[in-house]
Amino acid sequence: MAATAEPLRVIDFGEVSPLRSQTLWHAVAHGVSAGAPATLSFVRPAAPYVSIGYHRELGELDLDFCRQNDLPVMRRMVGGGPVYLDPGQLFFQIALPVSQVPASRHRALADLLAPAVEAFRAVGVPANLDEHLEITVGGAKVCGHGAGQIGEAVVVCGNVIETFDHARATAILSLGEDRLRDEVLRLMRRHVRATPLDVDGFRAAAVRGYANALGRQPQPGELTAVETAALAELDAQFCDPAWVGGTPRPAHPARQVKVRAGVWAFSVAEGDTRVVASVRDGRLDRAWLSDPGLNGSTVSAQRAVRGLRLAEVGAALAAFGDPGQRLASAFAAADGRGCV
Amino acid sequence: MSDIEQVFELAHVAGFPVATDRSYDAETHFWVLPIGPGRLRVGMDALGVETSGTLAQLSLEPVGTKRDRGEPLGRVEAAKFVGPLTCPVSGVVAAVNDAVLADAGLLERDPYGAGWLAEVEVDDVEDATAELVHGAHEVLAWFAAQVADYRLKGVIAE
Repeated sequence: MAATAEPLRVIDFGEVSPLRSQTLWHAVAHGVSAGAPATLSFVRPAAPYVSIGYHRELGELDLDFCRQNDLPVMRRMVGGGPVYLDPGQLFFQIALPVSQVPASRHRALADLLAPAVEAFRAVGVPANLDEHLEITVGGAKVCGHGAGQIGEAVVVCGNVIETFDHARATAILSLGEDRLRDEVLRLMRRHVRATPLDVDGFRAAAVRGYANALGRQPQPGELTAVETAALAELDAQFCDPAWVGGTPRPAHPARQVKVRAGVWAFSVAEGDTRVVASVRDGRLDRAWLSDPGLNGSTVSAQRAVRGLRLAEVGAALAAFGDPGQRLASAFAAADGRGCV
Repeated sequence: MSDIEQVFELAHVAGFPVATDRSYDAETHFWVLPIGPGRLRVGMDALGVETSGTLAQLSLEPVGTKRDRGEPLGRVEAAKFVGPLTCPVSGVVAAVNDAVLADAGLLERDPYGAGWLAEVEVDDVEDATAELVHGAHEVLAWFAAQVADYRLKGVIAE
């Protein structure tokens, strides 16, 4: 990204309501789209809530649990899945005109997440940006992210996970059966890691890093009139049940839950045939199979598929006759799209 | 949804397929194919798909929505990045491809055929497509220049 005489506006919104922890940075994106300078912002929610990505189904959430635990649900305009957010997470957002972002989405994300990785390192956290564009330490995700184009602005947002309630992050999800819930929680504990760090140091390093990467001088700023007007509209929009509900999507035969890029779990039920499994880097990590026709060979079938790629499962289950075919059909319903 | 036969020839430019029987928006990499009087089928070309990354989700404006050229026809998500699907012509959405909504991978596997996105009704096909790149020779020259430019800028791999 080329150097420019324009400043990098920096806004620290501090601790705000769950609603404003989403709408403030969406308003900034509207402002950048309307001509405000590229902006790095920070915000922390004052209370826990749930955020769901633009394309995701509300049915992925256990809405009863959310209601009973006073967790409002906000649909964001950027991508990714349903996530549990709370005051133990610091959010940062970089917003800049789309004309200043590489045309390749992968390259754009890599470029715009790299300064955040450097900021982690600046405060002693040995973070990396892995091949899936996850910010990780030792293979575990330490910072979620989402991105999108809002008007003529691109915004990439992240959440620095200082503390994390894995159980609650799992409990917000509608998972249907305990086996899948247990597996998602296990994967979550293994692949999402809280990283207590020097927050002020992280913020300062992020400002330096993004300013250097964009070739701009950081300059404290505040919302423009355009952004203040957009904020009022966004506050209303994000509370509108029609917006939160989203657009109905074609039903998917498998319930798939991504824990981090390349790590996901799924369940499929076709009649009395059921599969619950987890996948890591394209290979089956664990699998629980059930079919009335297995007649005592369940454990053998589970062993037969462990470690295989999904594409190899059908051949491995062929040895188990008709129940094997039914199980292979159930496996075929899990495509992992959006999980890798 | 129109039931038209998907028969077309693909040329290959530097490893990327390109259908030469249709017009292209040079900025956004969306193609437009007339399929009947006043009706255009719209999709994304292989270079647009390549720069999007692995597609996770798609959404399209419902039938009956009026779009001006350059307005969003829908949105596409790849690697947690949600971006607009830009309508290359002005008109009214007449059909959307339910198959690609159910399986965004169809767009990656068959961008010029089964992975089409929507059909748009326009007042005048010639007017609606006037700003697009037309003709096999022009399309191939434009596409080759785009591939070269993207490689020069590191947008796509060598």
